[in-house]
Amino acid sequence: MISLLVVLWLVPLGGALAAWAFGPQLGRAAGWLASALAFVSFACAVVLFPQASNATGVGQTLVTWIPGYTFGLRLDALSLLWTLVITGVGGLIHVYSIGYMWTDRAAARFFAYLNFFLFAMLTLVLSDNIVGLLIGWGLVGLASYFLIGFWFERPAAVAASRKAFVINVFGDTGIMFAVFALYAATGSISYADIFARAGTLPVGVLVAVCIGLFIGAAAKSAQVPLHTWLPDAMEGPTPVSALIHAATMVTAGVYLIARFAPLYNISPTAQTIVSTVGGITMVTGAILGIAQWDIKRILAYSTMSQIGYMIMGVGVGAYQAGVLHFFTHAFFKAQLFLGAGIVIHALGDEQDVRKMGGLARRMPFAFWAMLLGTLAIIGFPFFSGSYSKDAVIYGALEAGHPLLYAAGVLTAGITAFYMFRMIFVVFFGPDRTEVPDELLAIPPPARAAHAEAHAASHAPAWLMNAPVALLMIPTVAAGWLSIGGNASPWYRYFGTMFGTSENVAGPSLPIPEFASQLIVYAVVTVGVVIAYRRYGAPAAQSGAIERLRAEALGMPRALRRAFFVDDIIAAAIVRPARALGSAIVEIVDPKVIDAGVRDVAWLAGALGLVARALQNGLVRSYALTIVFGAACFLAYFAVLGAGR
Amino acid sequence: MPLDLANYVALSAVMFFIGVAGVVIRRNPLIVLMSIELMFNAANLALVAFSRAWVNNAGHIFVFLVVTVAAAEAAIGLAIVVAVFRRAKNVDLDEVAGMHG
Repeated sequence: MISLLVVLWLVPLGGALAAWAFGPQLGRAAGWLASALAFVSFACAVVLFPQASNATGVGQTLVTWIPGYTFGLRLDALSLLWTLVITGVGGLIHVYSIGYMWTDRAAARFFAYLNFFLFAMLTLVLSDNIVGLLIGWGLVGLASYFLIGFWFERPAAVAASRKAFVINVFGDTGIMFAVFALYAATGSISYADIFARAGTLPVGVLVAVCIGLFIGAAAKSAQVPLHTWLPDAMEGPTPVSALIHAATMVTAGVYLIARFAPLYNISPTAQTIVSTVGGITMVTGAILGIAQWDIKRILAYSTMSQIGYMIMGVGVGAYQAGVLHFFTHAFFKAQLFLGAGIVIHALGDEQDVRKMGGLARRMPFAFWAMLLGTLAIIGFPFFSGSYSKDAVIYGALEAGHPLLYAAGVLTAGITAFYMFRMIFVVFFGPDRTEVPDELLAIPPPARAAHAEAHAASHAPAWLMNAPVALLMIPTVAAGWLSIGGNASPWYRYFGTMFGTSENVAGPSLPIPEFASQLIVYAVVTVGVVIAYRRYGAPAAQSGAIERLRAEALGMPRALRRAFFVDDIIAAAIVRPARALGSAIVEIVDPKVIDAGVRDVAWLAGALGLVARALQNGLVRSYALTIVFGAACFLAYFAVLGAGR
Repeated sequence: MPLDLANYVALSAVMFFIGVAGVVIRRNPLIVLMSIELMFNAANLALVAFSRAWVNNAGHIFVFLVVTVAAAEAAIGLAIVVAVFRRAKNVDLDEVAGMHG
């Protein structure tokens, strides 16, 4: 059983190496191999489920570095959940990718990266110590960089991958300092030791560690203000957006905070910071989701907003709720992205929703997939998202944060609005696929500039449809695990794993949970109705082209520029850094470094000029020099002798 | 009147400085070599004198060493002089300054 854990961990790495080394020979088989290995990992996790689904789980020491400092793996309830999602949803997305990348000549490289991502993510969640966590964290960022920049011939993809990497490394730095501080304060790198000594940490160290970890979590999980890489990351292939930038990688921050629950539980300051940032991200993402025209960017901002919910949930100490939202989100967001991928693929890489319309008739399968995903994400009753989202929102109230509660309810309404805006614009109304860009106010560079000949793609339709069809089940049903509150399978699964947070409020709550749910449903309904009136009603659809054009032209600048976050970062960090760089190139390099080297060379030459005068080749002058030296010696000793 | 140690040392010093003057002033390599021999023997004289005055035979023994080395030095020196003469048809030391920097 112990070795099964290592198999589970290493199998994707083997797939990555095989696809990387033998890609040309494997051809399309690379995709099948990679998918099969992902499912092997998944099967291992399923076999290990009975032993691992508790707070202790199963562990294995891999390397004893110095006695007392061991690197190992541990599969417990929390990492098991992530492992199942990573390998299960990941495996489905692998299969989908075979169809999506059917005509891409570099598909083997793509699958090597995908499997490498699985390995990196498994390293992150399976590590039993903070150093392994940091390594996995860095590898995941690297895999993300590879996959965003997969189409490296597109400048936008290259820029997006670089941006994602830089922001992620900024977060890695936060974690690195947290790791240093934890090691310095506890003298150990293993989770078990650190959590056992959590109570003895000085408050300052505790808060600093929690904030350092959260900087990493915020960068990886696209929290304000480190979120700007996520919408840009949509330059990667759509399966990548589904796997990495929706289902798994971006939720690593949620994992991190849930994993470090013993530290966050005793640090209300850090919890307040985490939950507040989560709340801000939740609202910001939802508002920006309204203003997007690119179908993948709509989903990207919705991802950001939903991760805001998760972070808020784990931030207020409602770990089960936050992690449940991760769990349901992994399914319905993968579903949404894969459904969007079917649409994008069928339209020859068109991503602008203004160029779609009326697709419900042409692509009923994609329509139903997207509709189910949308109902789940907006928290429609009995769909998975409603259970998790309601639990998170109510958790904020339980923890005594009425403001975050209100923000959560409001965001649920905005989410309903922009998601149904997408549904109505893409799948209803007149077909606009042939309408010229000018009539829809689509600026030329904003269009997906890669309308390559995808017409030749003849992948079997089931390759892309089957994973989506399978995802429909958990998209609808995953939340049912939590029916019944604390007696439900979900809450029993985690048991007391997360401990209790110090800031859980007293028993007097203004409203019971079902009333809170009704409020959320009401707000969601309002959001859907507004979306229907603006985009879905027959009156709105008749003049759709003019309406969309007017909306695009009348969009407030703040929304079009995503609240200027990129501009602020550019002005505050990027441009000063560039200026510093060019100052170094123009001043420090020639005037200090080069000048220093030149001066040393000049000095050696000058000394040589002086010294060569002595080397005159005249033996008699050498003899005289020797005599002179001897005379000096004699004089010295004579004086010394006289002085004695 | 028996000779004092100071007499020997004085003679040795005179011989040595005659040798030094010969090396520094003369340009004929043969004379220079002879002057070097003179300096060797001045040192030898001092060694023998001190050795006898302090009843220590180390000085005597060292003189034999010096004589041997001096013979070898003279042989090499003369060989070099012959070689230089063959090349340059000239035995002026100041003309043989090919090694200047």
